[in-house]
Amino acid sequence: MRRFTFIILHYVVILSITASLLSGLRIATLNKPYLLQFSAVLPNGQVHTLHLISGITILVLVCYYIFFRRRYKKVTVQSNYHKFITYLGYLSIGSSVLSGSLLLLDWLPQQFVPVHYYSALVMLIYLLLHSWVYILQLGHKVLKKVFYIPLRFIPYQLTVALTLVTCALFYYMQSLTHTLNITPISSNVLMEIDGIGNEPQWQKAASLLVDTHHGANFYNGYTPVQIKALSNHKETFFLFRWADPTQSLNHLPLIKTRSGWKVKENGFYHFDEQSYYEDKFAVMLSDSCQFGADGTIHLGKQPFTHHPSNWHGKGYHASLDGRVRDLWHWKAVRTNDMVLADDNFFGPLAVPLNGQRRYKAGYLIDSKESGAYVMNWQWYSSHMIIPKRLPKEKSNTSEPVLDWFASTPYQVSLDTYPVNAQLSSVLYRSNRFEGDRADVRAKGQWQAGYWTLELVRQNQTHSAHDIALNNGTCIWVSAFDSSQIAHSRHQRAIKLRYSL
Amino acid sequence: MITRAIISVLLVAVLLYLNVNYGGHKEIVPQHHQRFTKITAQGRQLTPWQGPWSCVLDNQLSLLWEVKTDDESIHDGYWTYSWYDQNKGHPNFGDCYFETARCDTQDLINRTNTLSLCGQTNWRLPTESELASLLQSPSRPGHVYIAHDYFINIQKGDYWSSDANTTLSQHYEHLKFGAKAVNFHKGSVIALPYRNAAFVILVSDITQTHPLSQLSSRDTPLKQ
Repeated sequence: MRRFTFIILHYVVILSITASLLSGLRIATLNKPYLLQFSAVLPNGQVHTLHLISGITILVLVCYYIFFRRRYKKVTVQSNYHKFITYLGYLSIGSSVLSGSLLLLDWLPQQFVPVHYYSALVMLIYLLLHSWVYILQLGHKVLKKVFYIPLRFIPYQLTVALTLVTCALFYYMQSLTHTLNITPISSNVLMEIDGIGNEPQWQKAASLLVDTHHGANFYNGYTPVQIKALSNHKETFFLFRWADPTQSLNHLPLIKTRSGWKVKENGFYHFDEQSYYEDKFAVMLSDSCQFGADGTIHLGKQPFTHHPSNWHGKGYHASLDGRVRDLWHWKAVRTNDMVLADDNFFGPLAVPLNGQRRYKAGYLIDSKESGAYVMNWQWYSSHMIIPKRLPKEKSNTSEPVLDWFASTPYQVSLDTYPVNAQLSSVLYRSNRFEGDRADVRAKGQWQAGYWTLELVRQNQTHSAHDIALNNGTCIWVSAFDSSQIAHSRHQRAIKLRYSL
Repeated sequence: MITRAIISVLLVAVLLYLNVNYGGHKEIVPQHHQRFTKITAQGRQLTPWQGPWSCVLDNQLSLLWEVKTDDESIHDGYWTYSWYDQNKGHPNFGDCYFETARCDTQDLINRTNTLSLCGQTNWRLPTESELASLLQSPSRPGHVYIAHDYFINIQKGDYWSSDANTTLSQHYEHLKFGAKAVNFHKGSVIALPYRNAAFVILVSDITQTHPLSQLSSRDTPLKQ
């Protein structure tokens, strides 16, 4: 009987390790673009859920296998080679399960984060050396030896028990959250949204520190985010502080070359700029708190069969369950001088537009009455552009933002700029948005290697594209260091707890 | 055992070759719009992801539409015009930068014809039905009721049609007559007094002999 139990365990571990490796490698494509070479064999879509289920299954199997071996000792007789390879398997699976569990809980110290990925690579080597050598030794007989089990010998009770434990653990893991206690303040307290955070109320506020990983340009992709929140009856104030060694305000600058103006970029053509981009910070809000950014992540080049592919091969955000997720997107150049965060949301898949090269799936922008920033080129080309406007004062070329009324429409006769002159690519048509898009006031200041961002929004905006700030609302935070989409991330949602 | 090793190595090599050369590297190509084609100021056809463009060819109505800009030229989308046609309407009650006096629809028509936008010199105001045919549900929240990937710089407001002598009602009733306009913010057709400042998209008829009349909508993918 123990042999058939072993075969069942072996079956399930093959399936779960395969699912875990493939889904994990797909997730790793976000910050390891060389893995996109194997995109064809990696799963698309909501792979975070698959990764969690398969990971939990492996964890349950590891725990049961420890019990199984203590009870039955040896099940198979192995050569020294296979004994060595099996220990390699134990090592890789053990470190993978341990690092994965700590990652899921946001408890893995940043210096050990790479362990999870390298454990997976060792596991791949183990699988190759384990299964391939057995195939070489036994040929097709290995199939019968490893997979054949008469129906009457299937240990149904054990299989059902392990399945139930896995489901219970999955449900429990899904519901794990951080908690951010929101300190109440009086409606009479004046809070200035200036990105300094020197009001005495902030000193008394409860603080939560969340480690975020895998962001481009941060030191080893890591930045810890400190979060505080205050609330009166109408509004909630947030104070975010995160480490960023460089203040990046050089947003796709326009450079004069011998043959004309060019956008300075390193990836913008594929909508994945990671060198000449502003710093940003994003907060997602949802009424639910599920794993994998509440089901809004859809990885792969074309995760939606009947919708366009993305240019970077990494994936899309969308909310396909009929509910929206709110998204506050603060941008150090494009919205900071407006004292706003761009109020966006994740919603259902947008209709693709024939005339637009970039499709954003469910990443959508709240409507606005007026006001905008626009890019300072008549038409974007990776080779050459013509600026939309030139500064009225030539000394005004180093500013990150060019004001509409401090500039004049481009004319060849006015373009007397020398080679290597630089111009801002961001034009403010007005000093702020008006309408739904302007619901979130925000101001950030960079000092000594840290951004401090102060942000406020009404608890109830009554917009169909916003999430109300209530007890139990969950948030996720991401920091961008000079990158367009390659943001840092954490796993567990942060649940807001109001004491009002 | 050696045979099995050779077979498995060959198998892995073939799989790697297929993955690298054929797996998941599908080229992203634009799709033609069923109705619209971008046209440059010189009258040249562009693919959907090319630009800039100054006109849109309407393959359904065989018309060429003016594309608005944000460059403070005569085509700037922020300029407004009162409705005026020779002796009818109300001259110079809109706002633009290109006239010393204020602006009316005839000013824009004259200037555009003088400049032969997209090679055409028969620019005019669209009829109500022509203009209303551009109405479509917004493709993004809060956007205008038009294909905004082709018709850029369209404002959330009223756009004049050529249909005049319309009887005004309600709070405009005392002004008696006006012209029809299409509101791309609400997706509706309304009657406005001639003196109102509204936006304009001009239109031009394509003759049978015009090179652009040979273009028709296609649904095959094309290379950018």
